[in-house]
Amino acid sequence: MTFMRWQKRSVAMLLGLALSSVAPMSHAADDQQARQTVERVAHLFSSKSSITTVKMQITNEDGQRDISMKIWSLGEKILVRITSPQDEAGAAILKEGSDIWYYLPKSNRTVKIPPSMAMNAWMGSDFTIDDLVKETFLTRDYSISTFFEGKRGGVAVDEYTLTPKPDAAVVWGKIILQIRKADAVPTWQGFYDEDGQLVRELTFSDYKSMSGRLIPTRLVMRPADKAGAQTTIEYEDVAFDVPISEETFSLPNLK
Amino acid sequence: MSARLLQLAWRNLWRNPRRTFITMAAIAFGYVMLLFVACLMAGLRWQMIENGTCLVMSQIQVHAPGYYPSRSIQKTLGGRQGTDVSAMLAAIISDRRVYAAAPRVYGYGLLSAAHRSAGVELMGIVPDQEPKVTILNSQIAKGSYLTARMSKGVVIGDKLASTIGIDVGSEIVLLTQAADGSMGNDVYTVAGIYHSGLDAVDRGLVLMSLSSLQDLLHLAPARIHEVGIKLNDITAATTVAAALEDQLGKTLPVQAMAWPELAPELANYVQFNRGITFVLFFIFFLLAVIGVMNTMLMAVFERTRELGMLMALGMRPVQVIVLILTEAAGLAVASLVVGGALGVPLLWYLQVHGLELGGATGGVISLAGVVVGHLWYGRQDYPAYGQAALGLAATALVSALYPAWRAAHYRPTEAIRKV
Repeated sequence: MTFMRWQKRSVAMLLGLALSSVAPMSHAADDQQARQTVERVAHLFSSKSSITTVKMQITNEDGQRDISMKIWSLGEKILVRITSPQDEAGAAILKEGSDIWYYLPKSNRTVKIPPSMAMNAWMGSDFTIDDLVKETFLTRDYSISTFFEGKRGGVAVDEYTLTPKPDAAVVWGKIILQIRKADAVPTWQGFYDEDGQLVRELTFSDYKSMSGRLIPTRLVMRPADKAGAQTTIEYEDVAFDVPISEETFSLPNLK
Repeated sequence: MSARLLQLAWRNLWRNPRRTFITMAAIAFGYVMLLFVACLMAGLRWQMIENGTCLVMSQIQVHAPGYYPSRSIQKTLGGRQGTDVSAMLAAIISDRRVYAAAPRVYGYGLLSAAHRSAGVELMGIVPDQEPKVTILNSQIAKGSYLTARMSKGVVIGDKLASTIGIDVGSEIVLLTQAADGSMGNDVYTVAGIYHSGLDAVDRGLVLMSLSSLQDLLHLAPARIHEVGIKLNDITAATTVAAALEDQLGKTLPVQAMAWPELAPELANYVQFNRGITFVLFFIFFLLAVIGVMNTMLMAVFERTRELGMLMALGMRPVQVIVLILTEAAGLAVASLVVGGALGVPLLWYLQVHGLELGGATGGVISLAGVVVGHLWYGRQDYPAYGQAALGLAATALVSALYPAWRAAHYRPTEAIRKV
């Protein structure tokens, strides 16, 4: 089933990183400073609450599609509302706990999406369900196995190779994360399968100070097996730690 | 062979009518038995192929190259521009071996009602064309099949209906990823519920009108995924598929696949059935052979004295052998005619009424993913009938030849003394 999915951590993903919330550190094996850096990057988009305006551009063999949306987050709850294109405007996705709800304005119905259906690309984008649905706790599920310090494309970076811990339920065989040395922002993230093949890569750029933080405002996801296909996410506006009422995330409010 | 020999053979047969009838009975009974087995096995094969293709699949499917088996929504016939559907159907129907053809669109989606939902396969059909190709319209258990006027109606399986908790008249939402990547969704009403007996179908296939599925998937009216075809004679499926691929290929790249390719498990089953038929046929044939041989051997051996007498009167050994073989051939032909005559009503009964298999349960039986039904119908397999007749006749002749040959080699004085 090709399906659209979303989820709470998903937003963290949308917000830029597959890194989201971070478990308390308890693994002395990892280099302390490396862990702290990865943590900081993982926390880049974390906040008690946020309101974000995002533009997503999907490019593939079928052409190009632009979707604009507004995202509200409060703790574990996330609400995404599509604002354009016109014929999809008003559609909303609510993630509450493990439940995902879709509001479909055309049908004027709210549909609960079963977790088993949350398996594929969302709205034809290159972001998969696992990005969107699965909670990825980078430092909990992965060990930082190697560390590279040097220049990539003329920029001084720290590069971390994250490998899954033996009992972690994760899909990637390896994640490589590049962090710019000067200001500790992510520049590139590669997702590899168990054979060490690059499956897709996420490139960060256009760093801007928003709501008091320096964040990458442009993310490009490219699947390795589909030439020419990519999904770009641009942050047009981000507000961290703004007051949002719980009501925002109620089912009736979806409509 | 002289007329006198024939006359002698004829008289011999009637000299001991009881012996003649017993031998005839052995051959005729053996023949009826073989007819029965061949008819039932051919019937099972036919029923499997027929039922396996007529429910949803159809006998031949025409797709865009690369559509099957991934069934990507984008790979419509004629590519993104689509094709002139009615011209294509007309071109297919113009082949005289084609009985009917129907256009189809497929998609996957989430069917949701109240608080429950399920992933389903969506099949868009033209309500007055599809029933000529498949028979799901005859499996409606409740409500009605789609009609041309019903643009927002769907027909679902009974298993799906009970899982989701919906009934005829219920409103459902279908949510799918449309061809342009957007979330296609709309509200539909359950018009009918079918029961096909096949779990996978009853659980996961939703029928709706071709145009409303095209709307849901954001596909233009010229874009269809498949043409399903029914032939006048299903055994020609592979040949006709190749011919259609060539013919349609002149204007549009297509792939035409016959049922053995679409349902390899069904084709395998048919092969398996042929294997079983051969083994069964062989066993029953052996049984018949033993019966025929036994009676024939005894019948000729007990006439050793009589044959010795004939030779004493001046008949040459070759003439004795020819005489016996003539008798045996006459017997065999008469017996096969009798057996055939007895078989006709039996075979007719098997083909028309079938054997009741479900018994007390009356349940539906499915084999290799195909609903067979609780009645096992026979089907005429004339080549097998012919082979059985030839085999039995040859057995009768060989079993007569041996004792005749032995008797012919005795000296008349010896033969006369044998009992």
